[in-house]
Amino acid sequence: MSETMNFIDQATTFVSSHESQSKTQWLADFRLQQQTRFSQNQWPTRKTENWKYTSLNALQQANFNQPSQASSTIDESAYAIENLNAQTLVFVDGVFDATRSQLDIDSNASVCLFSEANEKQQALIQNYLGKASGNSSNIFTHLNGSLTHDGLLIHVAKGQTASPIHVVHYASSQTQAATAQSRHLFVVEDNAQAAVIEHFASVESNGNSLFNQLTEIELGNNAHLHHYRLHLEDEQMIHLGAMHANLQRDAQLNSFHLALGGKIKRIDIEVNYQGSGAHSDVNGVYLTKNRQHVDYHTNMEHAVPHCTTSEVFRGIMDDNSKAVFNGRIHIHPQAQKTLAELSNKNLLLSNKAEINTKPELEIYADDVRCAHGATVSQMDNNALFYLLSRGISREEAERMLSFGFINELIDGVKHEAIGAYLRPVIAELFGNQQHLAECDL
Amino acid sequence: MTDVINERIESDYKAGFVTDVETDTIPPGLNEDVIRTISAKKGEPEWLLEWRLKAFAVWKEMQEPEWAHLKYPKVEFDKVSYYSAPKSMEDKPKSLDEVDPELLKTYEKLGIPLHEQAILAGVAVDAVFDSVSVATTFRDKLEEAGVIFCPISEAVHKYPDLIKKYLGSVVPQKDNFYAALNCAVFSDGSFVYIPKGVRCPMELSTYFRINEAKTGQFERTLIVADEGSYVSYLEGCTAPMRDENQLHAAVVELVAMKDAEIKYSTVQNWYPGDAEGKGGIYNFVTKRGICHQNAKISWTQVETGSAITWKYPSVVLKGDNSIGEFYSVALTNNYQQADTGTKMIHLGKNTRSTIISKGISAGKSQNAYRGLVRMNPGAENARNYTQCDSLLIGDQCGAHTFPYIESKHPAAVVEHEATTSKVSDDQLFLCQQRGIEPEKAVSMIVNGFCKEVFKELPMEFAVEAGKLLEVSLEGSVG
Repeated sequence: MSETMNFIDQATTFVSSHESQSKTQWLADFRLQQQTRFSQNQWPTRKTENWKYTSLNALQQANFNQPSQASSTIDESAYAIENLNAQTLVFVDGVFDATRSQLDIDSNASVCLFSEANEKQQALIQNYLGKASGNSSNIFTHLNGSLTHDGLLIHVAKGQTASPIHVVHYASSQTQAATAQSRHLFVVEDNAQAAVIEHFASVESNGNSLFNQLTEIELGNNAHLHHYRLHLEDEQMIHLGAMHANLQRDAQLNSFHLALGGKIKRIDIEVNYQGSGAHSDVNGVYLTKNRQHVDYHTNMEHAVPHCTTSEVFRGIMDDNSKAVFNGRIHIHPQAQKTLAELSNKNLLLSNKAEINTKPELEIYADDVRCAHGATVSQMDNNALFYLLSRGISREEAERMLSFGFINELIDGVKHEAIGAYLRPVIAELFGNQQHLAECDL
Repeated sequence: MTDVINERIESDYKAGFVTDVETDTIPPGLNEDVIRTISAKKGEPEWLLEWRLKAFAVWKEMQEPEWAHLKYPKVEFDKVSYYSAPKSMEDKPKSLDEVDPELLKTYEKLGIPLHEQAILAGVAVDAVFDSVSVATTFRDKLEEAGVIFCPISEAVHKYPDLIKKYLGSVVPQKDNFYAALNCAVFSDGSFVYIPKGVRCPMELSTYFRINEAKTGQFERTLIVADEGSYVSYLEGCTAPMRDENQLHAAVVELVAMKDAEIKYSTVQNWYPGDAEGKGGIYNFVTKRGICHQNAKISWTQVETGSAITWKYPSVVLKGDNSIGEFYSVALTNNYQQADTGTKMIHLGKNTRSTIISKGISAGKSQNAYRGLVRMNPGAENARNYTQCDSLLIGDQCGAHTFPYIESKHPAAVVEHEATTSKVSDDQLFLCQQRGIEPEKAVSMIVNGFCKEVFKELPMEFAVEAGKLLEVSLEGSVG
């Protein structure tokens, strides 16, 4: 415990001693405001409702050091997605790596770092920074805000259709555990369309490093964003991240999440409906094994009428791993005619695996239709028997069924190239079945 | 249409009279002396006093829970009187004839004439008035069968071994804030023991009533069903209308030994406060049962009263093949708030549980289902099915669902489903088109919504529950 205190102390000291000077005064003001909220917030313990099933003990080994110089050996194959035709932005340990990035494709999107933003972009950042995550009570959001010196802005102007943008966060092998923060701001204006892939990759065993990545999304009237957040880092990593989105009238958000387990992976997803007629599809897959831990907390804030949510999360837990899912749908009194559905299905593959799921409904309006369902079970015995009776070995049949359980969601993604990229990665988890990887049901 | 609904909602609390009975009440406040006084008044043995004091020590260290989805001014525990008994109890009545006629009138007003009900319905009633058990009917007949059904204060003297063995065995003193408080100051309640292999010849019943102002009621019920036995137990509650909030913190413990079955039904109709949300009972209840091998515990509850309800009847499925059931209808109206649900803790193999919860919110009320289903590592082939549906009547109320599902066994299956909707206009239209008046139609629809739960209630209660629902809903159709 004293060592956890150590991390808290380190963080607190670091934040309070943190240089609030900056060439841009508004950014310094923002940090200051976030620092205040950070210091007002209680450090989460197991008694904190939102952290009931996720222990932060693993932070004992974490360290608040800044990452040292990134090693030059970076395995580009760890994140390359074939046939995506996207701009690629590569960040190594939270720092932009221009040499590995490809920004040459003409894309209708303006992409820049906060530190290199022009006047117009600065105005955008100033306007939207911290807005979508404004109601967050997560201390790591405020920690992130307190230390925001730079970040990534992707801006799609009114009526434009941008080609996909692939944002890679690569964790290099550090000799010492380190903590890195990163911040994304995506602004898609009225009637514009965009696709962004947030991709987290790393080399093996760079032990105990902590990454805190916060994404804020602003969708204008009738804007449409395809968003992917893929957590494929090494299992030694600790990730405490969040995605917050504001949706204006008739905006549409398709957000797909995937996480392989890590020491702790905790991702908060929040969608704020601010204009009527907005819709979001939030789907996700989590796969854990060994002693990994994944925690997804989702929150749908229906504050206005006529919005719809469709949310499906599926998880498979093996070995000693543990997963947590908390899906909240909050219907405010004005949000009449809301339709919201949430489904969470889980497969446990081992006697030691564990799932804690809590689909929550909080409803203050009467003319709405809301439903949620959650199941936890083993593989369907009938399906298993069917395959066995056709001469397929038990092992292989189990693999096929597990894969099928999540392939359904992967089939639903809009960008074919991402599905094609993910299938072999997942198939490998279930024992590297070549024909599974190729199956495109 | 809305007017009709409102009219229906605004019906009065029918059990809100005060009975003028001279009582013996301890001044408000809580300290060790109060506990000693309560214990002395009941002539309790030393061990029970120790037990109470231990609970009190634990309680002092505990924090009032704040996690529930409830908003209410804090209870001032110093302003509550922890003991109130009708004076006439001093020289205990031997039979019903000796009971204070005023008291009996109270029960008649409540619609439970002891004599009639005892004879006609064949129900044995233990009525708890404020804090003391006033009469237990049909005791002789039960004794014949070997069933013990008596006030717990009496059982302490008559059956000390049983009480010593089972009191606090399911809900220990330090279980939670209100349970600890109850352990320290519990005044009376019912004790039931069904011997091995006996099927209780009639349904047992308790009526609770808080009469005296500014008193809290802390009853404690302990039911032990020995191997292979069966008992069905009914519980009903009412209180007079008063402006201030009154506290009710009860503990119910059920022990179902091997092959035993306990069916526990509650119709809770404490005073819910007036239409402005003034007054009403704070109902903080801990109910839990433990199932040994092949045993079954079934909770059925109809909750229409109380300003605040904080109640989670639970089952610990300890033995293999044991079964837990929870059927609940919770209706809130005006400014009532309910945070209620169940816990099913699966420890043994092949254990099964079913949860059916129906929440109805009307007026400005908040109604939350909070449940936990836990599959422990030993719960091989365990099975749970949960369904919680909410119905909203009016646009100012809230319906919430907080189900916790924790599974640690791959061969355990948990299913949870929840829906929320309002009384559908189509259904209402269909009924009206066939000449059914709107208020009648809503009552029909709501009754249909709750049918799965009502059919689990014993017959006499099912009728009462249906009526209660109708009355509580009056004026809420929209």
